[in-house]
Amino acid sequence: MDSRDTILKKLKANKPEFIALPKINPAVFDENIDKVKEFIRKTEVAGGKVFEVTDNKEVLSKTQEAFPETKVNFSNLDDSGFFNTIDSESFKNPHELNDLDVLVLESTLGVAENGAVWLTDNDIPVRVIPFITKHLVLVLPKENIVPYMHQAYSAINPMDLDYGIFISGPSKTADIEQSLVIGAQGAMSLTVFLK
Amino acid sequence: MSHSKLAGIFNKDEKKVDWHDKALWFVRHKRDLSVHQVKGWEELRNLGHGIKAHTLSHLDVYLEQFEANALKNGVQVHWAANGDEHNQIVHSILKADNAKKVVKSKSMLTEECHLNPFLEANDIEVIDTDLGERIVQLAKEKPSHIVLPAIHKNKLEVDELFQEHLGTEPCDGDPQYLTGEARKHLREKFIHADAAITGVNFAIAENGGFVVCTNEGNADMGAHLAPIHIACMGVEKIIPKQEHLGVFLRLLARSATGQPITTYSSHFRKPGKGVKMHIVIVDNGRSKQLSRPDFRASLHCIRCGACMNTCPIYRRSGGHSYDATIPGPIGSILSPGKDLTKYSTLPFASTLCGSCSDVCPVKIDIHTQLYKWRQIIGKETPQPFIKKKSMAAMGKIFSKPSLYGKVGAVARWALRTLPKSLINAWPNIWGKTRDLPVGPKKSFDQWYKERENNKKTDQK
Ligand code: SF4
Repeated sequence: MDSRDTILKKLKANKPEFIALPKINPAVFDENIDKVKEFIRKTEVAGGKVFEVTDNKEVLSKTQEAFPETKVNFSNLDDSGFFNTIDSESFKNPHELNDLDVLVLESTLGVAENGAVWLTDNDIPVRVIPFITKHLVLVLPKENIVPYMHQAYSAINPMDLDYGIFISGPSKTADIEQSLVIGAQGAMSLTVFLK
Repeated sequence: MSHSKLAGIFNKDEKKVDWHDKALWFVRHKRDLSVHQVKGWEELRNLGHGIKAHTLSHLDVYLEQFEANALKNGVQVHWAANGDEHNQIVHSILKADNAKKVVKSKSMLTEECHLNPFLEANDIEVIDTDLGERIVQLAKEKPSHIVLPAIHKNKLEVDELFQEHLGTEPCDGDPQYLTGEARKHLREKFIHADAAITGVNFAIAENGGFVVCTNEGNADMGAHLAPIHIACMGVEKIIPKQEHLGVFLRLLARSATGQPITTYSSHFRKPGKGVKMHIVIVDNGRSKQLSRPDFRASLHCIRCGACMNTCPIYRRSGGHSYDATIPGPIGSILSPGKDLTKYSTLPFASTLCGSCSDVCPVKIDIHTQLYKWRQIIGKETPQPFIKKKSMAAMGKIFSKPSLYGKVGAVARWALRTLPKSLINAWPNIWGKTRDLPVGPKKSFDQWYKERENNKKTDQK
């Protein structure tokens, strides 16, 4: 018998009697929070910056203002031609994205309670890019902010997901004597534009 | 070596112990602040407990479901009965593609299986990419905490290590500079890696996907750049549905560091372009632990580390004193299940204060299990001579009130009269670092009776 069958057989023999699965009732946790306010607060606590804007044009101009000296930029917003210094050709070899300075992506889901922004393969041209970039800029429609993780998962179809990620704040570590340092292995800054 | 002996080694550096104690208590404090902001936190813990208990009672079924879905997603699934088999499987995957350079994100399971030395012996370079784990790896040590692997090291030690291994400038332990240098060093490793190994925080039966949580982004940097991604998980990592992540992701980071969520919560399901994805499902003693009604709840653990941060023993004895991959209170109930003799002192490394059970996000009755292991260990493993004799004597004394009264009188006299050198002589381990109080003249019993008598006289 191979290990698969041995393991499964042992687990079956050793497990306790059936215990029912509890139901999650999200109403128990509901505090009627101001979603936008809470999202901003939590993102800032996580080390990110939040700006409110009217449209994507403003996103790109504000991004340029915030990062004036950058060499390699990419945005997947519409009409980003003037902003982009690379195109989708560059994604064929993601290893070469190491010098990417600024990346702008659009998200369709954010979570108020923790400032997490959801991205999937649909929002990301190549998976490594939100991590390998120096600065990450995300655009999120305000009405797409849900209060808690429970509502976030209700909005995600588990059968229609290849890869997805919640990002809250920039990459960070406190592994040296518990001192918080922003910019570990992933992006060194995170800016969220709410529109 | 026993826990107390190893703790003795850690305790030699008093300043460090103080720092360690306070730093971890501060993390516990941040956890408190964070969870107090969540309405229904106790209900969330109940759900965490209930979902895990249900899952364990249906574990084989969920694992099969998970496997079938993962296969449909284009992921290869492997099963390992123990650590050796796990290592062989990982090695054979790497060998098939001639992968020589591996980047690994945090996985306590691969630590448990001693994967690194195995791969290194087979000429494969393994780089731990979590900063804390990299520090520990360069120091040729093991993690001393499951969330904060290098919590036992101070910044000057890290400074020296990096000078030696990464060629950094002396910087008086500047964390910003050192982290920046580690980032550069690890970037190189990510870019040139042939394969990435990650752990798994949660594996979802209904869709065959799995979630990995990090703050640094190292799991994703590795898994998306390398052509091979191997994810290693214990059988207990499974949860039934994606919606259950809503409960566990809310619990995990708040309990671990006080953050409302980790920076990155990555949901892997189908391999990316040009990537081969593998999952290795490992038993290594877990099915045995499942068979023990008193201890099976230890498999609920989501590895948040809260029980370590709060434990008065752990904070003062350091993670290495547990001599096991998972230290602290939870380690002390997992380890005896693996090797009762080797780990027989761990369940005694506790005051049974119950703080661990109070903070555990999945409500494991940790301190009760510690107590239960003590009962078993007392019966099944040889106890030190002095402990055995003194316990037997105490048992006799406590069972006979008249004897108790007599012995008490002698003890009180002795504590008042005998020299310290005699009272704290070697059989009295308690007296090694403490002084016993001066013996009172009266016993509590005498004092109480006199008081009652006085009351009566007063009333008359
Ligand atoms: S036993 Fe509970 S508190 Fe301890 S690490 Fe596991 S989940 Fe966290």
